[in-house]
Amino acid sequence: MVAAGVLFVPALARADDGLVEAERLLPGWWWLAPLAGFVALVMAYVFYRSIAAANPGNARMQEIAGYVREGAYAYLRRQYKVVGVVFLVLVGLLSYMAFVLGVQHRLVPFAFLTGGLFSGLAGFIGMKTATLASSRTAQGASESLNRGLTIAFRAGAVMGLTVVGLALIDITAWFLYLYKYHHLVTDGHPMNLETITVVMLCFGMGASTQALFARVGGGIYTKAADVGADLVGKVEAGIPEDDPRNPATIADNVGDNVGDVAGMGADLYESYAGSILATAALGVAAATVSGWDAAKTFAFLSAPMLLAAMGIVLSVFGIFLVRTREDATMKALLAALNRGIYVSSVLIVVGAWFLVQFLAMPVGVFWSITIGVVLGVVIGKGTEWATASEYAPTRFIADQAATGPATVIIGGIAEGMMSTWIPVLAVCLGTLLSFAVMDGFQDLLAGLYGVGIAAVGMLSTLGLTLATDAYGPIADNAGGNAEMSELPKEVRQRTDALDSLGNTTAAIGKGFAIGSAALTALALLASYIEEVRIGIHREAAIEYVAPAAGEAQLVASIGADYNKKWAIFLPGAAMGDREEEQFHTLSAFEGSGENAVRVVTPDGVTVSLIINEIGEKVKERTILAADGASIIPRKASLKDYMTLYDATLMNPKVLVGVFIGVLAVFVFSAMTMKAVGRAAFAMVQEVRRQFKEKPGIMAGTERPDYARCVAISTAGAQREMLLPSILAIALPVVTGLVLNVAGVLGLLVGGLCAGFSVAVFMANSGGAWDNAKKFIEAGHLGGKGSMAHKAAVVGDTVGDPFKDTCGPSLNILIKLMTMVSIVFAGLIVKYAPAIGHWLNLGN
Amino acid sequence: MKIHLYLLCYQGEALVASHLEPEAFGAYMATGTQKHTSGNLMFFELDPDVKSDFLKIDAVKAQCQPHPDGSPRRSKYASIYRVLEHLPLTAYRNLHLVTRDGRVLALAPQPYAAPATAAPVHLYTELAPVTPRVVSSLDPQEFVRFITNPANPVNVPRILFADSLIEREADGSLAGYLPYANPAHIVDCIESLGRGKGKITKTVERNPALIAFYRTIGRGFFLGDPTGVVFYPFPSKDDLEDRHHLWWRSASLD
Repeated sequence: MVAAGVLFVPALARADDGLVEAERLLPGWWWLAPLAGFVALVMAYVFYRSIAAANPGNARMQEIAGYVREGAYAYLRRQYKVVGVVFLVLVGLLSYMAFVLGVQHRLVPFAFLTGGLFSGLAGFIGMKTATLASSRTAQGASESLNRGLTIAFRAGAVMGLTVVGLALIDITAWFLYLYKYHHLVTDGHPMNLETITVVMLCFGMGASTQALFARVGGGIYTKAADVGADLVGKVEAGIPEDDPRNPATIADNVGDNVGDVAGMGADLYESYAGSILATAALGVAAATVSGWDAAKTFAFLSAPMLLAAMGIVLSVFGIFLVRTREDATMKALLAALNRGIYVSSVLIVVGAWFLVQFLAMPVGVFWSITIGVVLGVVIGKGTEWATASEYAPTRFIADQAATGPATVIIGGIAEGMMSTWIPVLAVCLGTLLSFAVMDGFQDLLAGLYGVGIAAVGMLSTLGLTLATDAYGPIADNAGGNAEMSELPKEVRQRTDALDSLGNTTAAIGKGFAIGSAALTALALLASYIEEVRIGIHREAAIEYVAPAAGEAQLVASIGADYNKKWAIFLPGAAMGDREEEQFHTLSAFEGSGENAVRVVTPDGVTVSLIINEIGEKVKERTILAADGASIIPRKASLKDYMTLYDATLMNPKVLVGVFIGVLAVFVFSAMTMKAVGRAAFAMVQEVRRQFKEKPGIMAGTERPDYARCVAISTAGAQREMLLPSILAIALPVVTGLVLNVAGVLGLLVGGLCAGFSVAVFMANSGGAWDNAKKFIEAGHLGGKGSMAHKAAVVGDTVGDPFKDTCGPSLNILIKLMTMVSIVFAGLIVKYAPAIGHWLNLGN
Repeated sequence: MKIHLYLLCYQGEALVASHLEPEAFGAYMATGTQKHTSGNLMFFELDPDVKSDFLKIDAVKAQCQPHPDGSPRRSKYASIYRVLEHLPLTAYRNLHLVTRDGRVLALAPQPYAAPATAAPVHLYTELAPVTPRVVSSLDPQEFVRFITNPANPVNVPRILFADSLIEREADGSLAGYLPYANPAHIVDCIESLGRGKGKITKTVERNPALIAFYRTIGRGFFLGDPTGVVFYPFPSKDDLEDRHHLWWRSASLD
């Protein structure tokens, strides 16, 4: 297997870095990754066609579905306009950083664009399919339960497979271009794997930014529409759910798609891509520091992509496993969905074993992947336990409803807080185990690779998991369509059963999304340091000065003395050519320890330096040490950076950063919740206005103006999401500029820990309140309309923005802050010391 | 335009003349009027030609003219006091149950036949002219005779009430789906009837809030006086979900 792995990597036979001037060859097995991406898209298309070909139902069903589709497109058009402006601004900023300031690679603005574009495309395709499928699912349910389930689930599968397919194609296309063709296009030097992975990581920011708008905007939209429809329609006018007389009912249905299809798709696209890229970058970093050979390096880089490829194939297989009998109970429906997930999960573990053997990787990689897969199941099950009405937490909340809304709120908050123990402990255990099985306590980067590949393992069957999640709003819409179209009782009963199942899977999906965000963010933390390394190197290289004739090297201080940054310039670089300058530069910083080298400055002073980054041409040579010896330098370890930036808990910058990270979580949550309130207020006013000005609405003789409600909710969401979005993007940059890398690390840790816990709390509280209400509606504690039910409705209303707006938005906050930190690392590295010095905060 | 006569009878009485058909009238009363009715509504459709010495029916019919623009007169109140007792039983036609959002369900009158096996105890929600909720060992017909017997100190000339559900669990408590505000007290009252002190009725609550009222209806509604009983059977659950789905969705909301 080892021989086979090496055999397929002939062009990388060099033991150092695989850098060759000729066209680089890729091993045959690597092509399985982009191929799988295309398979995913082809299967998504096949499923899409099968759904489009299904009977769309009668004229009324198509009319209702048409309203929802128009509303969804109206929302997307408006959102993409706003996102387009934001992207324009950010691309401008990134271009300025890259081309003027020189603190960013010049490809990053393009990588950022493609990340956002593909994420947006996935969301669009998912929504298009979901709105197409709702009436078809209702029509399918009129034929049989299995038919309805198949259509709804396959529509969800289009979303799932589109996300994973586009993500993997985006990743592999960029890698292919950067590895094989970029140097030919630019007539420059081939990029090394480190630079490639670090540049690719930056497209994650594009995906994160798109996800932010999709999730936050979608979350605000859906809750504004829902609250508006409920408060005025249900509470004031007494109109039941999904009644065509409610002007906000179409907006409510659109919101299900916008929040839970497009928003969730964008969220998980970012986690999926981010985990693969972060792990690939960690693999290359580990290889570089440890001096692994080219074959092993390439294996570690490619393993996440191949694992994802395998996951795609198994997801498709799992999708075909989801079917049920005609007379299926709720339990059987859930078993049908679980069958697909469990079988795929088991097979991915088996497949991971063979992958690890084929790539001649340590067995710890297999165990890390397995831990990730198990972690996903545990988090899903934990969410189910915390929110399903079969279990104690939700029953407790329902029981509290007998004593009024206050006790319901208290109970829900308490159960939500308590429920964080399962996912948090699971992530803690998973992190420690995946770190340990890769001998992380001996080799830090290898351990972090284990954490990263565990995240990839967890997300490997995302195509199927997302199908299960996206199925929920489709079934919900189908139920709404069936009601509004006044379909017969047995059809409505079937769509109710599908909808009920969808509520369970949606809650589990939210828990899974949060858990995967936490693991991905952990892996990205280490990638941030890699970006810092690159940033320091760029900062040094931009000040390249050729050594005097005859001199082997020139040792120079970079920037102000308090910077503590140095460079060793080697002769041979073409002046003004940034790439050449970087290749002939060795960047370093003052420090001591086993990695330190002592060199002599032109002034005859000996300085002890830790090597940050070694330019490509420098790798072919040695440097002259203070004692006259020629030495091959070793790059700094992660711990060296912790020392450089004093990233310890005793440094107040770290603690302040942690506090700011925690603060960001709460302020962001508050912003999104208040945004829901303001947007919902506008919706409430509109619905009241329509009832007042069109008295025929209640009698069913006048049609409400659905489009107006959609427009109000859309405008409200776009307006309200700007401030939280600006916070998420600006905060890491401002924190970094003031508190430097130590502060950013604190911010990311604080944001991750608080964000993860609060997101779980919100999602589970919201889910439990919702299911407590449904439990009572099923005929317990007095049933619908009883005092307990009214109290439970209050809890559900409070919980809705928790689980559909704040909770999911925190996923994005966690990852976006990390991605922004990664992209802006070069800026921070260059300017933060000066700002810190000026503010007397140290550097 | 044809003039309809309606008797509003949900926890109160009012005689109203209207040009609207029953369904439109019910929707209007629930949602269309500025004097917003909050909650459910019930009304009888009456014989439009009914006469009464007590009620000025002819006068109100004469006033029930279309609006100057030709639109129908939606409501013209004739009386809000002692209407139920002053109309002959033969004048009462369909009973209409209206939800808060204006859905209307019409119940046709039928002769009442007591079931072969009498239930030991009943829960009655009186609607007009008085509004207590009582438990009784008397079947509906017997209860009508009892409550309208002028020889009893507590009596009314005519009574409208609903037969309410009192399904019990194995442990004696009321079934969990029943929305009564005070289920334990209802059980106590039921059991007090069985203690053999000759009690045949017991008031559970003088003015119940009627939470989720339509979900508590058992066999149906009874309108009676010493001369007879008119029975309005409530549809079965299957019938409600099948044939009256839209009404039942709204009715079971609250």
